[in-house]
Amino acid sequence: MSSAAQFYLTNILVFFGVDLIAVWGLNLQFGVTGIVNFAFIVLQSAGAYTAALLTLGPSSGNGGFQHYFGGTRLPFPLPLIAAGFVGAILSALLAILTRRRLRGDYAAMVLLVVSLMATTIVQNQSGFLNGSAGLSLVPAPFQSIMNLTLVGYAWFYVGLTAVLCLIALAVVRAISNSPLGRAMRASRDNEESAAAIGLDVSRARMTAYVVGGALAGVSGALLVQYIGTWAPGAWLYPETFVYFAAVIVGGRGNVLGVAIGSLLVNIAIVEVTRYLPQFGPAGFIDAMQWVVIGLLIMAFLWLRPRGIVPERARQYDLARRPGAGRAASRESADREAEAP
Amino acid sequence: MSLFVLSLGFGVVTASVLSIAALGFTLQFGISNVLNLAYSSFMTLAGFIAYWLNTKGLDIWLCLVVATAATAILSLGLSRVVYEPFIRRGARSFEILIISLAVGVAITNLLLAFIGPSGFSYPGVQRASVYHFAGLTLSSDQLVVVAIAVVLMIGSHLLLTATSIGRALRATAENSELARACGIATPRITRIVWLLSGALCGAAGVVLFLSISSFSVQSGQDFLIPIVAAAVLGGIGQPYGAMLGALIIGLASEVSAAFINPSDKEVVAFALLVLVLLARPQGLFAEAARQREVIT
Repeated sequence: MSSAAQFYLTNILVFFGVDLIAVWGLNLQFGVTGIVNFAFIVLQSAGAYTAALLTLGPSSGNGGFQHYFGGTRLPFPLPLIAAGFVGAILSALLAILTRRRLRGDYAAMVLLVVSLMATTIVQNQSGFLNGSAGLSLVPAPFQSIMNLTLVGYAWFYVGLTAVLCLIALAVVRAISNSPLGRAMRASRDNEESAAAIGLDVSRARMTAYVVGGALAGVSGALLVQYIGTWAPGAWLYPETFVYFAAVIVGGRGNVLGVAIGSLLVNIAIVEVTRYLPQFGPAGFIDAMQWVVIGLLIMAFLWLRPRGIVPERARQYDLARRPGAGRAASRESADREAEAP
Repeated sequence: MSLFVLSLGFGVVTASVLSIAALGFTLQFGISNVLNLAYSSFMTLAGFIAYWLNTKGLDIWLCLVVATAATAILSLGLSRVVYEPFIRRGARSFEILIISLAVGVAITNLLLAFIGPSGFSYPGVQRASVYHFAGLTLSSDQLVVVAIAVVLMIGSHLLLTATSIGRALRATAENSELARACGIATPRITRIVWLLSGALCGAAGVVLFLSISSFSVQSGQDFLIPIVAAAVLGGIGQPYGAMLGALIIGLASEVSAAFINPSDKEVVAFALLVLVLLARPQGLFAEAARQREVIT
């Protein structure tokens, strides 16, 4: 394979890995717990900014052409971990803002406003995160000491991304299959009933917020250290919407499903349009891409609301419990089969 | 002091635009129970319909009327073609919300695809005459914007209180099942409210673009922050709450803009929104929020 083709492939693999981590985080919030977090991209972005600030060094470096607060140089895993923490803390704050048992869609509208607001603040405060221009020249981990070719380093980063993807997968699977995960799904399906049988709904929701936020933060950090730059244009509120599209298309609540959804929505749509002949005014195809994603969401919610790979219906064997006969177990299996 | 009075003038203009937009947004929610995030995209659409007509030589006030009517019809169409079928299928409220955002993103980007990101201003509008009184400085079209808002607010008040449709609207907002049992054709009322809120949305869009010196495809979207803030402050679903909320948000953001960095004025609207949510999430007029089980 030519090095150009390899470079292209590694780029796509890293982007896909980043999207996977983010989409699993969103799936934990939206797919499993039913939280419509329209400020999700802000969490990813917070992670990216954190990692950038912790690797760029002081604001006066590089001739002082960009201005930001903080700014230190920490060794590799620390910026990534810090990004996860910042994502988690910010996400917890969002949970507190909407904690008053606001109706789901009402809370989501507020979170959308939070997302719009975060963009406005970062754009207008030029000394905070370098305003609309954003941060650039973010160093990549170990690149200066590893003495690899550009493509060689890209392959190294693919490996790093893959490791983080596996960790993210392990985390979301562990939570999703734990009693807490069942509480999450129960509070998604019927909050009142879940609370009535004694499940701690607010703890389940808070966990989804925090873990989802941490994953979003890590995905942002991973992305920024690869592409080296981060600006408000990269995290406008429609970007959240792309991740929602991936989750809805793939299958809410299904880890494999949302991965497929992410491959289709985050990667395929963008890459296919790259090879379309350019036509219309500048930016026409980019804009139409959003129209396609909007229509895709509506089409899926209408035709296949449970996505390409629907969440599998979980069966718990009641027969094993003393006092419950086979009939009860068959009855519950029938009910599962009838479920849409 | 003069700076304060001057900013008060701007505040009145912003509050005027906001009151029209927030009233439409809140009415729509109060009766149809749909939080329509495509609302601000429809404002932008209306503004550009008026712009297109204006470049064709139509008088700006005629453009306002035509764009308002067009948006009313588009809004009804959106509800009939998109929201109603989904609601009939039993889509949950958050799914409707995502669909509304999908519609909003699609419309904004269709506009972006064909118009582009650059700034525009109405070609047929002169900004020559400026009036001074009591320390306020307002241009003639700003005065007209305020006048339009006052007329629309009084008109809406009369519609809601003095006509049978208005009474049916309020009854449906209060308790749609009871209203239905009393013989009110609530589906018809829902359609009327989509028309009405669409008209308010359209008028707000054109008036917003009139009140700012340069508008782009993004302008309507930026206005979603104060719209939501005003509607939530007033108690979502409450028409008079939205008017009061708009007045508070409009004045607070413009007056504070005189003393802080003007580009931060949205932050004031946002800070008020956060405060309201933390302290009194049901808003100033709580009834509708409780009715709709927005807050439990």
